[in-house]
Amino acid sequence: MKTSLFIAIVLLSGFSAGVIHGLLNLFMVEPFLDTAIGIENKNMFATGEAADTPDFWVEYYSYRAWQKGGQILAGAILGTSVGSLFGVVLAYSRNVLPGNNFVKKTLALALIMWITVYVIPFVKYPANPPTVGDPETIVLRQTLYLAFIAISGFAAVGFYQLYKRIDKKLLAFIGYGAFMTAMFFVMPGNPDPITAPEDLISGFRISSVITVSVFWLAAGLILGVLWQKFNPDKIKQTTPQ
Amino acid sequence: MSYSKEITVSKSGVPKIALVALAAVFVFGLFVVGYDQGHLFSVVFGEQAFADLYIHELTHDMRHAAGFPCH
Ligand SMILES: [Zn+2]
Repeated sequence: MKTSLFIAIVLLSGFSAGVIHGLLNLFMVEPFLDTAIGIENKNMFATGEAADTPDFWVEYYSYRAWQKGGQILAGAILGTSVGSLFGVVLAYSRNVLPGNNFVKKTLALALIMWITVYVIPFVKYPANPPTVGDPETIVLRQTLYLAFIAISGFAAVGFYQLYKRIDKKLLAFIGYGAFMTAMFFVMPGNPDPITAPEDLISGFRISSVITVSVFWLAAGLILGVLWQKFNPDKIKQTTPQ
Repeated sequence: MSYSKEITVSKSGVPKIALVALAAVFVFGLFVVGYDQGHLFSVVFGEQAFADLYIHELTHDMRHAAGFPCH
């Protein structure tokens, strides 16, 4: 394998998919974040923690502009990061993934990873807009979320080992499903009560799921196309005659 | 005499150096966007960064949007 070519296309595809994710968030998720932070502002005015003055709004808008601009940068960083994991898993699984070309293989893997490290953890710990989280519980919530992603991801790897060794392939899927269902009930839930309006929460969650899903689709597609085009597995061989 | 031709060798697995590099990028990026509360800049700017939470503010909206726990 051409190592530097492999690393380059993995980083490039993750980065590109991440930038797409960030741009999409500006249109799809930011309106909900603005609404949620608007509620926080109202609460701060009500409790006297902040005063509803022109100065407040000047500072608020420059602060929000900074945060919104960060979507693109943070998208690039997160995309490159998750894309790197995707690339490593692809490298290990590229010969067993279904499909006769790399675009099909990367899309298949993107689908598997989207389900195991995103959808399933989301069902247990769904995304929340600002105002929901209690700062006191942040470390607990971060630990639980990361733990659930790790449990689901490693369980998928584990049940794949089983899948390879048994004839009744369906049992591996049932096993993974049963294990994750058990973990779903074993793991403690998010301790924070949700006080924000229902339509804000659901609108935010739907938009968030859409943009993260677009990220996974883009990551799979771009890496598949780049792999297909540049094939890091292709090496020059000099054969003596 | 010898001649060169391109062949495709797809042994499963990753060169170690690629594995280490990509694992580092993964952990670093996940930490910065999903978990950092201002620890990173503190190395450069000292304790002040904890108060300012530069990175936290810059990655804040993506943290919510991507489903990570936040405020
Ligand atoms: Zn937040």
